[in-house]
Amino acid sequence: MHDLIIIGGGPGGYLAAERAGHAGLDVVLFEKNKLGGVCLNEGCIPSKTLLNSAKVFEHAAHGEVFGVTSENAQIDQKKVIARKNKVVRILVAGVKAAMKKHNVTVIADRAVITGKVAGGYKVEAEGKTYETKAIIIATGSDALVPPIPGAREGLEAGYVLTNREILDLDVIPETMTIVGGGVIGLEMASYFQTVGTKVTVVEMLDHIAGATDREISNLLLKNYEKKGITFHLGCKVTGIEKGRVLYEQDGEQKSVEAEYTLLSIGRRANTNLIGLESIGVYTERGAIVTDEQGLTNVPNVYAVGDVNGRCMLAHAAYREAEVAVSTILGKKDMMRYNAVPSVIYTNPEVASVGFSEEELIEKGMAYKKQVTPMSYSGRYQAETDKGDGICKLLVDPETNRLLGVHLLGSYASEIILAAGTFIETEMTVDDIREVVFAHPTVSEVLREAVFQLE
Amino acid sequence: MAEVILMPRQGQSVESCIIGEWHKKKGDKVQVGDKLFTYETDKATFDEEASVEGTLIAVFFAEGDDVPVLTNVCVIGSEDEDWQSYIPAGATVDGAGQTAEPEAEAEKTPEKTEETKTEPVRSERAVAAQTDTADGAISPRARRAALDAGVDLRGAGGSGPNGRIIERDVQQLRKEGRVYTSAAGNAYDTRVSGTGIGGRVRVSDTTKPVAAADEPEYTDTKLPQIRKLIAKAMHESISGMAQLTLNSSFDATDLLRLREQMKQAIDGGFAEKLGLDLPAKAPTVNDLVLFAVSRVATRHEDANAHFLEDTIRRFRHVQLGVAVDTPRGLMVPVVRNADLLSLQEIAAEVRRLAADAQSGTINPDEIRGGTITVTNLGGFGVESFTPVINPPETCIIGVNAIKTAVRVEDGNVVGYPEMTLSLTMDHRAWDGAPAARFLADLCLALENISLVLMSGSYIGGF
Repeated sequence: MHDLIIIGGGPGGYLAAERAGHAGLDVVLFEKNKLGGVCLNEGCIPSKTLLNSAKVFEHAAHGEVFGVTSENAQIDQKKVIARKNKVVRILVAGVKAAMKKHNVTVIADRAVITGKVAGGYKVEAEGKTYETKAIIIATGSDALVPPIPGAREGLEAGYVLTNREILDLDVIPETMTIVGGGVIGLEMASYFQTVGTKVTVVEMLDHIAGATDREISNLLLKNYEKKGITFHLGCKVTGIEKGRVLYEQDGEQKSVEAEYTLLSIGRRANTNLIGLESIGVYTERGAIVTDEQGLTNVPNVYAVGDVNGRCMLAHAAYREAEVAVSTILGKKDMMRYNAVPSVIYTNPEVASVGFSEEELIEKGMAYKKQVTPMSYSGRYQAETDKGDGICKLLVDPETNRLLGVHLLGSYASEIILAAGTFIETEMTVDDIREVVFAHPTVSEVLREAVFQLE
Repeated sequence: MAEVILMPRQGQSVESCIIGEWHKKKGDKVQVGDKLFTYETDKATFDEEASVEGTLIAVFFAEGDDVPVLTNVCVIGSEDEDWQSYIPAGATVDGAGQTAEPEAEAEKTPEKTEETKTEPVRSERAVAAQTDTADGAISPRARRAALDAGVDLRGAGGSGPNGRIIERDVQQLRKEGRVYTSAAGNAYDTRVSGTGIGGRVRVSDTTKPVAAADEPEYTDTKLPQIRKLIAKAMHESISGMAQLTLNSSFDATDLLRLREQMKQAIDGGFAEKLGLDLPAKAPTVNDLVLFAVSRVATRHEDANAHFLEDTIRRFRHVQLGVAVDTPRGLMVPVVRNADLLSLQEIAAEVRRLAADAQSGTINPDEIRGGTITVTNLGGFGVESFTPVINPPETCIIGVNAIKTAVRVEDGNVVGYPEMTLSLTMDHRAWDGAPAARFLADLCLALENISLVLMSGSYIGGF
């Protein structure tokens, strides 16, 4: 009997395997597709390689303000995709090596839980039965394909894409319509607009970027509109055809041209076909219900990452995986979601951690607010032309700790770690004022904002 | 001279007992009469007391071990005395494995206690911190160490006896450092445990109700042997039989009047005056029910029987089981040949058995071999229930509370005391009609209990 079986080799699964293997447990990891999961193969990492190509292209094509002129800057989409594939290959190989190093047995097949045995559970794959004392379910999520007429046909024909297909698109289309203005939709909008596609985003809500602090998302919207992306907010997509997307705005039927259509309305936890019913794992709204240790209702069965529907971010899955493994090893540990950062890697970048102002209002929590322009940072001034980035702090007036930090501007994704640490450790504003920041960096805007606070 | 304590033999049929709890540790001084350990047979729990004075110098078995009777369990003597020669086969603590070096073994025991002590540090932090200034809450060594290191003792958990802060706690505090986040430090409260990074106390912990933060949501307690056996017997009874319950009521006027008369006769002294042969204490309602059952059951052969799958064993005499609620759980001592005993004798025997069952000193042989059982929830006001049969018996009689009922007499509504009996029967052994006849006879006997008593040990066919 094995100590631990992990189903799914994405960030949650492979990190759990690494930690458990390192602790000396006998671990078997099942992955039906590729190690690294969505994050490595068709999500976080490939999209970042594309976005970096766009950034380089943008600098080349629009360098005049910095005194750099280059003619005939071209983007070769085939080379962009080839480079992305190479980066993914290297990282997947790295995960493979880590599994080997920590003595994790990797089985390249779909695993199905088939029932309980004395002292544990049994799992079937490759026609064989494996017995284990504990299970970590890390089967991730898939792009939600809405029941919009024409969506499925379009996917089959190839002119409708999800995050999976769009990252392999080796042509730059004339036009693209993106259904859903969340993180994935915005990142792809940013990329394709930069490389020359005419992009339209159709979003059902009256704002973009989901739960992002509204002050930030409104600013982001302005930035994108300036770049030339068209937004139709508060609109419902009613049909997808080859060449166009139909939508309804204020009761009126409209349509927009679309050589390709990206579906990015959300993701659904993968809870089907893994045998949850055989041991009675409880799910709610399609996701596995877990506690602060990642434990499901079934003893010694854990669920980490997207499949538990709590926070669909790779880094949340990493930490959930560690908490689950700690718990299996009998070490006290718990998952805290109050300081999980979230980032949108567009140009400009958006990064947030903690509560948004809207959430604080909804919860009726008292707060002080400080919004400081990024232009207070010398480096930001030096590197950005007419930037309108901001740093927004939300502070608990009673304890003087940070409740939320929201950044829009260059390096926001890297700066947010500091803000997350401040929130996680509940440092007070007075403590933070004593921290030395490197100069000149964009992160200094945090320090500036902390001193501007009343 | 070292004194060896053996696992006592409780009853002829008991071959081994399980050690429930040790009240003394190796090295403890013991006085005559001190409880050494608790042990359990399959039905009852007993305490073994020290019969000599001295030091407990060897403990051969741990809690939960099943020890054959008349096996050496521990040794009382003086510290330098030899106990090696008393090591029994199968010892699990001192002398475990027999070949182990005695010195290594001696070290092992204190190490074990150490381990269990470090565990509750966090929960005991509260106790220690609150008694900060109280004398004796901090050991002098710990106070000295704290002074040297400049450690605020309020943050130290007390892992010594009674939550006393000892040097080890000060060292741990130095290692862990500050356990409050900066923001939570404003609400400095030593009674909460932390859920923040590295176990730090965060703001949300200090705003939680203290009780909720500190008290676990539930406690897990290992079942004592007797509970496991009750669970097994009750489940087997329900799952293995075809049980159903019949309820019947009778007019308890005669029963209550007789009892009242007896009480008055005894208390008022006229029993003595008239030379009546009455007991020193009036029988209880339950005694009267037991008496009636002992007489009526002999006339209903399937009621006083064992159902043994392919055989029904009908008994000549009534071995009357009486359910007793004890601190350890349900016990059913048996009144032997109850049909041959007088009311007075039954009452006295039940009192004796119940007292032994309550104190846990009952001989296991006295809780075996019943042929029919009576269980009484009337004292709690229960009006009807479905008693569970004690296998392999064929029925059980449940006694309920006496309530006031009404009936119409000559066109007038009149009240009278009424008692209900709940008879659960095993339908595999017999049928509803004979069981109902048995129940009807029981009610008839109790309704006319004076007549039944007058007719001595024999009842006519009412």
